[in-house]
Amino acid sequence: MHMYLHEEVLKQMKHLKSFNKKAKMLDAAVSQGDVEEVVAMQSVVGCTSVNDPGWEVDPFGGLGSLCQPMESDLYGCADACWWPAQVPDTMSSHPNWSQDVAKADEDWRKIDAIFPESE
Amino acid sequence: MKNHSMKRVIRFGGAVAFLGLASTASAIDGPQIIKENCLLCHSETGNAEAPFSRISQQRKTPEGWQTTINRMKSQRGLSLKPEHERVLIKYLADHQGLAPAETADLRYVLERQPNVVEQNVPEHVAGTCTGCHSSARSGLQRRTTDEWQKLIHFHMGQVPTIEYLAGHRDRPWFQIALNETAVKMGEGYPLQTQAWSDWKAKPKAALNGQWAVSGFVPDKGEFTAVMSVMPNQKDNYITLINGHYADGSKLTGSGSATVFTGYEWRGAIVIDGRKMRQVFAASEDGKQMAGRMYLKNDEVMGGRVLAEKADKAATLVSVTPSSIKQGASQTLIIAGANLSNKVSLGNGVKVEKVISQSADRLVVQVKADAKAAIGQRTLSVGKQTLENAVAVYDQVARVEITPTESIARIGGNGGPIPKRKSTYRAVGYAAGADGKPGTEDDLSLGYLPATWSLKAFDEVAEHDNDLKYAGSIDAKGIFTPGDAGLNPERKMSTNNVGNLAVVGTVKDGANSVSGEAHLLVTVQDFVKELIQ
Repeated sequence: MHMYLHEEVLKQMKHLKSFNKKAKMLDAAVSQGDVEEVVAMQSVVGCTSVNDPGWEVDPFGGLGSLCQPMESDLYGCADACWWPAQVPDTMSSHPNWSQDVAKADEDWRKIDAIFPESE
Repeated sequence: MKNHSMKRVIRFGGAVAFLGLASTASAIDGPQIIKENCLLCHSETGNAEAPFSRISQQRKTPEGWQTTINRMKSQRGLSLKPEHERVLIKYLADHQGLAPAETADLRYVLERQPNVVEQNVPEHVAGTCTGCHSSARSGLQRRTTDEWQKLIHFHMGQVPTIEYLAGHRDRPWFQIALNETAVKMGEGYPLQTQAWSDWKAKPKAALNGQWAVSGFVPDKGEFTAVMSVMPNQKDNYITLINGHYADGSKLTGSGSATVFTGYEWRGAIVIDGRKMRQVFAASEDGKQMAGRMYLKNDEVMGGRVLAEKADKAATLVSVTPSSIKQGASQTLIIAGANLSNKVSLGNGVKVEKVISQSADRLVVQVKADAKAAIGQRTLSVGKQTLENAVAVYDQVARVEITPTESIARIGGNGGPIPKRKSTYRAVGYAAGADGKPGTEDDLSLGYLPATWSLKAFDEVAEHDNDLKYAGSIDAKGIFTPGDAGLNPERKMSTNNVGNLAVVGTVKDGANSVSGEAHLLVTVQDFVKELIQ
């Protein structure tokens, strides 16, 4: 099971990076320490600071290095639990999220958020 | 049917907020509910002090316990009757909650305050938890070290990629989280604390009576009110609120509230036809409440509320605006109950007339002499006083826009996720004795009326024409983001995201003074949480 997950993860990481060459270039240009400093300054509660790429905010406090439009890579993020507090992870917690919507960029209006379950 | 569609029925708050509307009286108590519903996985320890495995080794806020129960329902097959869920959360929050001192610095997440940039995040939390969560989320829990370590194990199981995330994969994240972070959490946020023992032993004040209230809602402005709180059942109250917005229009509403842990006020109230939520903390003596009230379906639309127990006593809560220019006349709205109409702001500020007086407020017109001494004044109303209440100033030297860092999220456009707005206010400063703005002796003038505009934050935003697509701001400083979805007009069909500056401009006589805040208009949040 673990091996399977790891392979999937590595596949996803490759996938994300191919989508995000600009972010990769920026990552190479700036030392990790600098990036963490920028992110610490820019993170608003509710936004992830996982920034390779980020979901709401890129490593430089802007939007230029995010996947855009986000619908194009939405499921790539969900499969890999990349930002599990912002995008429902379909690996583990929410396997059925958006299972009926094959193409996010065409049918994004059918994709809902996960809400706190209640009575 | 998608599995989450039913979860939308009640969007936020769950039993925590809805305890306000429903009885918590039940024939069955918390421990019995645990015994009947949780022992397939949890076990009885035989120790009366900590009777249930895992459960008895943790303390949380009401929202924290609600989150745990939600997870048990969605991930672990728990099924609870709604009334039993309410009783259980109340029991857990009362018996294994957090003391007032333990929540005091982190209330913004409970209040769902938007656009908070956390300060003083512990280093071990910054490297371990804040990639996904606020620092406050862990800071509002208390556990044994063993339980903190089990929380790390839980994350490894539930989020198997956690070791691969940015900031994690370049170091032995799991070993650090388990053997360093969890141990520090056990030391810094232990299950047993003096604050909690003291609070548990302390008699709790009943909160029924008359409360003098002041507050703010972005689209309506400042308000004053009297809230009548009547006992219903134990720790459960009926509320009636009556008052005025700053423009004189009436405010009326009714609702109910439940108090958890002896001080955590959670109210559900309908004011002028709008459903609102109250997340307040009562002071330990039960004479003051402070917190945030916001629209149930649009939580960004809310603001600070301050309430003082008044009953029949003269009670002074606040005054707005909190500054007056030398030589100018100014209308002041004084929030309070049972006040006399004898108002004083010291030498050089004359009360010209009392404009009106009602149960919730006193409205007066004052004039500052052209040579009135610059600085903060104490407001006296009869025998009541409020220090640093009103600043006399010469001119507005600078303006800060709050919040300084902010996000809004695209939404709507036929999709199920609404737009997340962002709201702004302008805070003025006079230069102070040194005549230089931006120094320590600047004199705060409080919130000032402003006009609002947007501009591109940087060259990239200008090049991408973010200003055209990302949204608009209205005369009240409320920013509404653009529509969700792909936009074929934009390069690569980019969403209507944008990197903007919010500009607020304050008129000061013939001068205009502006300040700016940063606004990122970004994508939706697909996971709504009670505690971010």
